[in-house]
Amino acid sequence: MNASLLAAQLLNGLAYGMLLFMIAAGLSIIYGFMNIVNLAHGTFFMLAAYAAYSLAGMKVNFWLAIPVAIVLIMIFSIAVEKLLLSFVYGKEHEQVLLTFGLLIIFADMVKWIWGASPRSLPIPPSLDFSITMGILDFPVYRLFVIAVGILVAVALWYFENRTRIGAIIRAGVDDRQMVSALGIHVGIVFTGVFAFGAGLAALSGILGGAILGVYPGMDTETLILSLVVIVIGGLGTWKGAFSGALLVGLLETMGQIWFPSLSMVLIFLCMTVILLVKPTGLFGKKVST
Amino acid sequence: MAKKMKSGWKHHSLVFLLIFVLLLLSACGSQGSNQPADGATTVSEAAGKGAAGAEATGTGNKTLKIGALVSLSGPFAPLGESVKNAVELYADQHGNMLGDYKLELKFEDDENNPQVALRKYRQLVDNEKINLLIGPVSTTVVYAILNEIEKDKIIMLPNAGANDISWSKKSDYIYRVSMASWQLATAGADYFAEHLGKKVYTIAPDYAAGKEMLDAFTAAFTAAGGEIVGQAWPKVGTNDFGSYLSQIATSDIDFVYGFIPGTDGTRFIQQYSQFGLKDKIPLAGAFSFNDPVIIDPAGDAAEGIVSVLHYSYVLDNPINNEFVKAYEEKYSKVPDYFASYGYDAVLAIGKAVQEAGDIGAESLVKAFDGLEFEGTRGTMTIDANTNNLIQKFYISKNVKKDGRIAPEILQDLGVFQMPENEPGN
Repeated sequence: MNASLLAAQLLNGLAYGMLLFMIAAGLSIIYGFMNIVNLAHGTFFMLAAYAAYSLAGMKVNFWLAIPVAIVLIMIFSIAVEKLLLSFVYGKEHEQVLLTFGLLIIFADMVKWIWGASPRSLPIPPSLDFSITMGILDFPVYRLFVIAVGILVAVALWYFENRTRIGAIIRAGVDDRQMVSALGIHVGIVFTGVFAFGAGLAALSGILGGAILGVYPGMDTETLILSLVVIVIGGLGTWKGAFSGALLVGLLETMGQIWFPSLSMVLIFLCMTVILLVKPTGLFGKKVST
Repeated sequence: MAKKMKSGWKHHSLVFLLIFVLLLLSACGSQGSNQPADGATTVSEAAGKGAAGAEATGTGNKTLKIGALVSLSGPFAPLGESVKNAVELYADQHGNMLGDYKLELKFEDDENNPQVALRKYRQLVDNEKINLLIGPVSTTVVYAILNEIEKDKIIMLPNAGANDISWSKKSDYIYRVSMASWQLATAGADYFAEHLGKKVYTIAPDYAAGKEMLDAFTAAFTAAGGEIVGQAWPKVGTNDFGSYLSQIATSDIDFVYGFIPGTDGTRFIQQYSQFGLKDKIPLAGAFSFNDPVIIDPAGDAAEGIVSVLHYSYVLDNPINNEFVKAYEEKYSKVPDYFASYGYDAVLAIGKAVQEAGDIGAESLVKAFDGLEFEGTRGTMTIDANTNNLIQKFYISKNVKKDGRIAPEILQDLGVFQMPENEPGN
């Protein structure tokens, strides 16, 4: 097992992990801060990918398609939040049923509009080349995804620790009632955070569409993995999503080669171990209810 | 009045949520499993259904109802779609008539899921009262509905490579006008060993057909002096082949042999090129790699691949020439393998019905046995020993022609007939 192979596998795992990070970060913030159980989070991921697919079909430039698709999904998420979720704050059972219903509706709608065949997003020509690393070439697009992931992580760190909104969110994760008592309009922050989380999922969906493809079922696959990531990494902070996602991404990718029959099991084994050893996850903050 | 609950509570509820979601999703994924064992309760009325169905229309017109159970979703969706296209094309061309019979078609999506397939199959047989069944395209699904076919005495023309339906599970009711995994994988192994090299890395999806293809290929390739250096078994529906490609790149091999049908194949070819392997290590394969439905979306990435071919739109014979023209006119693309399988299935049914004189299951069985008919691949014969097609195979290479990648026939490998019994038995 040589250095080039190891390096390539690491990079593959990192790229995949970054995609997971972006979705999980959104989910973690939403669940940690707003206490909302949103099973339709994977749906945002999927709809963004399909939106980008349609935009690509209309010959829209990739770099333009990203913000357009993200904005579309964010608007959609705000509609979901205002028109549906706002009626079930605090009622977790209802939230589960409601968002699960949304998941099913959109999973089928996607098949209806775009057909059931898997599709893929084209890689933008400016990134469609490979660089040689030792004896193999590595696609630059995947390096780009890793770079974006790191940027998002840095942005989230800054946002969380250095801005007022970040402070409000951190405070809200700790004690929402107190934040409200301080006169901060929690409702608007809620909507903003929800849209932001959806936007992150959308970004991941668009970037991932070129690597993972765009297909019915991608919503549930991603949802399950992001839940696992959060359980492993911990709620309430971007560090949790980041560490969990990298771990899962690397395990999944390395597992494909070295333990092919066990790769799915590995991830869940890891989750079990973490739960036994450190139940709040690797970086989990103690969150309020 | 918010009580400050234990800090781990929320985290634990998250875990329960995850488990709940997983259970819900697995329940949704296999809806058919909630049905009672349909086969048992309806077997008495199902026996001889094929024969009874012929006169069931009550209008006095002779109607032939053909059902098609193919994958219309999932990675094999394009294949199922092609079968559907071709069968519908035939109906269009002949005003919904097959010989003297009025043709009625009903398509169902098996979602490449045996549970769903069983349920849809029962619908086709019990509700729609089909006389014959075209499909499935997936080997997994074929094995799942085998027993039902036998019980219901419905003649089935699958498009899947499943070997056993010609060997241990051979049935009087199953006839294949597509190909068998054994044929596809054995043909060409000698050529590859001679022209590409003796050290190979193989990749095939981890399901019945993948295993069968690789078993046959391994047997033939090692007999020709070759060596399997490494193997990869991605699961069906794998989107990201990065890890496998990295491993291939760092192995000491002469070429890669792949059998990857459906959209997975397109992605594999694209990524093979992205990882810089296209010009470094030759890629060889079975029919998927010269199938327009797979290589057209892949574009230039598919250039240079050497593979085994038994149908192509470039094959020159009267029926194929007309078929290609009509297909292109109706669907704006060239017909691919599964389109030819679908079309040939209808042609075969037509000939069998003509020879049998009626559409009762017993007479059709006699007609299908050793049937010879004119199809898209020329004159085609169903081998009475294996109920599989005896057909010619070729080696083709993907070349760039008129702005698209097309297969160019390099060598005629001759006729490959499946042995009557599984080799080694």
